[in-house]
Amino acid sequence: MKKKSLKLSNLYLLLVFFLLYAPILYLIFYSFNEGGTMNEFTGFTWEHYGAVFEDTRLIRIALDTLRIALLSSLFATTIGTLGAIGIYFVRKYKAQQALLSMNNILLVSPDVIIGASFLILFTVVGFRLGFLSVLLSHIAFSIPIVVLMVLPKLQEMNDAMITAARDLGANSWQVLTKIILPSITPGILAGFFMAFTYSLDDFAVTFFVTGNGFSTLSVEIYSRARQGVSLEINALSTLLFLVALFLVIGYYFIQRNQQSKKLLTKNQARVVSTR
Amino acid sequence: MSQAIIEFKEVTKKYGEETVLKNINFSIEKGLFYTLLGPSGCGKSTILNIIAGFTDTTQGEVKLNQKSAENLPPNKRKINTVFQDYALFPHMNVFENVAFGLKIKKMDKNKVKEKVKEALRMVQLENYETREIVEMSGGQRQRVAIARALINEPDVLLLDEPLSALDLKLRTDMQYELRELQQRLGITFIYVTHDQEEALAMSDEIFVMKAGEIVQSGTPVDIYDEPINRYVADFIGESNILKGQMVEDYRVAFGGNVFECVDGGMKPEEVVDVAIRPEDLVLVPENKGCINVKIDTQLFRGVHYEIIAYDAEGNEWMVHSTHKAEVGKQVALQFESYDMHIMRIGETEKEFDERIEAYTEEGNR
Amino acid sequence: MNRQARKYFFIPYTLWLGFFVFIPMALIVYQSFFNIQGEFTLENFITYFTSSTYLSMTLNSIVFALLITVFTFLISYPTAYFLTQAKNKQLWLLLLILPTWINILLKAYAFIGLLSQDGSINEFLAFVGIGRQQLLFTNLSFLFVATYIEIPFMILPIFNAIDEISPSYISASKDLGANQWETFRRIIFPLSMSGVRSGVQAVFIPSLSLFMLTRLIGGNRVITLGTAIEQHFLVTQNWGMGSTIGVVLIVAMFITMRITREKKKGRHKE
Repeated sequence: MKKKSLKLSNLYLLLVFFLLYAPILYLIFYSFNEGGTMNEFTGFTWEHYGAVFEDTRLIRIALDTLRIALLSSLFATTIGTLGAIGIYFVRKYKAQQALLSMNNILLVSPDVIIGASFLILFTVVGFRLGFLSVLLSHIAFSIPIVVLMVLPKLQEMNDAMITAARDLGANSWQVLTKIILPSITPGILAGFFMAFTYSLDDFAVTFFVTGNGFSTLSVEIYSRARQGVSLEINALSTLLFLVALFLVIGYYFIQRNQQSKKLLTKNQARVVSTR
Repeated sequence: MSQAIIEFKEVTKKYGEETVLKNINFSIEKGLFYTLLGPSGCGKSTILNIIAGFTDTTQGEVKLNQKSAENLPPNKRKINTVFQDYALFPHMNVFENVAFGLKIKKMDKNKVKEKVKEALRMVQLENYETREIVEMSGGQRQRVAIARALINEPDVLLLDEPLSALDLKLRTDMQYELRELQQRLGITFIYVTHDQEEALAMSDEIFVMKAGEIVQSGTPVDIYDEPINRYVADFIGESNILKGQMVEDYRVAFGGNVFECVDGGMKPEEVVDVAIRPEDLVLVPENKGCINVKIDTQLFRGVHYEIIAYDAEGNEWMVHSTHKAEVGKQVALQFESYDMHIMRIGETEKEFDERIEAYTEEGNR
Repeated sequence: MNRQARKYFFIPYTLWLGFFVFIPMALIVYQSFFNIQGEFTLENFITYFTSSTYLSMTLNSIVFALLITVFTFLISYPTAYFLTQAKNKQLWLLLLILPTWINILLKAYAFIGLLSQDGSINEFLAFVGIGRQQLLFTNLSFLFVATYIEIPFMILPIFNAIDEISPSYISASKDLGANQWETFRRIIFPLSMSGVRSGVQAVFIPSLSLFMLTRLIGGNRVITLGTAIEQHFLVTQNWGMGSTIGVVLIVAMFITMRITREKKKGRHKE
């Protein structure tokens, strides 16, 4: 009886996973369709991939998206890591909790609120919407994720090490670079990765603060999808799927090298649960 | 002789390639306190898990009340467990934890209240019903775990190293309490521990285990006085163990001398282990005892001095004495023939028993 | 580290807290008191709380978010539970996480194709004899796609909560006479509630504010709080009203957090 129920549960899992993947596989499948629609597969072709690479506007937007993701995650990782260290060294429990709650405001806020409030901010200070406003927004919403990834590593760190280092004559800068940073590196890397993917994925915030001249892939896909099906988007999504796959695998291995296999899912869930 | 309520017949357990239990045989009688004693990883917890029904066997038969226990799930066994980490449910308070088993049986609410009260009184935790588990100390949690198990009136209570998380003083107190509780209730206790003092203090019968096998079983006194081999002698209490050679029955040679002893039944010239407990050794002036030694170091242990000395052959001797010795002095060790315990190398428990039976009849000890 | 250095490191983060957390939040509240003519007034709030359109839109949005949360929960809980029992947990989890790393726009776009008039699902419906239906731009399709998108965010926290339950609790429950179902009902489910709470938070709040899906999949039939905000900010340019709805959304967010907050028992005292 036990065996049987086990099989049923596996069946259920397979079904759920099939549903999760069906739309993605569907997109990929039709990206090779000679006919122009997502309905009838008339024959195999690479033509839509060719179209993607010939579409200079799309290529430019893709590169812009990547630029934003890379820059914003680098800045967010730096500021977030220093922030996490700062929060960690706040010795009063209540003050620390208050700081953490403030840190998490942007994580739990709906995207629309973040987008709308940033839009007001940029308008009030007279900042022109475009590349910089998008970059600043992405840095802003990525910082709390980095803090959340780095803080647990700090808490795992043995405090006596810092005391020992100081005892042996290290100054603050040496303590930071020789003791603290090396022991929280996995958290920093995880934070960087999460920030990177959040930036790549973001649609809502960007949509509010992007203005006319500048666009990211999400916004571009949105405007194209509103006009209906175009297999060029399918081809693009296959490419993006490969990028995501690559990132997940890369992230997985980084985490795995840091001993704990569970970390990946733990971190993910931690961010998800405060999304 | 009362009937066995648990019986293991040639039980073997393997996890993949690894054998954790090898051909285990024993039977458990009603109303006694049993201890499975051995270092961690020797398979004692596996035996407990098999009895509780959490683990199945690879080979062999397990009988509960003369009936095969195969396919009998844990919830259908009249056996309860006190877990090593107590496994008290964190989302329930003390009352809910203790009442758990009765609620499962759908017992009448008032009756549950009454029984929980009684069970908590039994473990000296009256009026703790509404406490949360985190508000309890280690010793209190332990009592809750015992109450939660005993309230179901099991035939057998399994205890998996229940005292290991407590500090020394509390541990000693709990030993008295557990033993007293067991005798009062008359329930069979099977107790798992790696602490030989606990085992000696509480048990009616001890199973000494090593690497998945039961090496020796018997009462605490039997095992302490007549360890079957070097492993048991070393594991239970302290021992001086020396290589010796049988000259003939009741005569053994070691440390450059031949001594009268009370053991026999070996082959002539057989190489044996000779064990002498440190508390059986008495220090006497040089040349007045059995073996001359030189005192090397001395530690004060509270109730006694622990003295380390070396004989002419370089053998180390540990002596427990209430009298202070002088480091560096030449003295002699005095012991009687019955203080020596001779162990054959590689002898099984069965062979050991048969031999002892044979020569005690003949020797009329 | 000495205090001086600590402060120095902390500056960028504090600046971020000020400029990108507090000032924007304050601005959105401030903005909500301005009408479209730029006058300081309570007009927006009065309009909001007296207009049946706004109120029914809010109610609508809450109902949809609730439904999405419930459906997501119903599918996710068994999945999470079975995942904890599965042999290659880590692999399954990786497979579960992968779709969440794929741009949400692409997933929505896939459904445009799947659900369209001559899409694959309609082909299938025609094939089994039910006949083609209008699938895209309906309430149902919106619910379906939103649920689809939120599922992983519900599974993960529940999975983690169940996975963290010490196996000795389950042994203890069985030891005390509980069968599989009773063990689930009395031990596993209550102990996994923290995960359920996180999951509900992670699904309900974003569901209130979805606006892209309402346009692409819901065909503007479903108006959520998020859609309304986007409409006011980017289409009608009535930022005051948009901010007012934003304030309502923020309040709704805090209420949700309050409700789903873990009840403090003695166990958090430490």
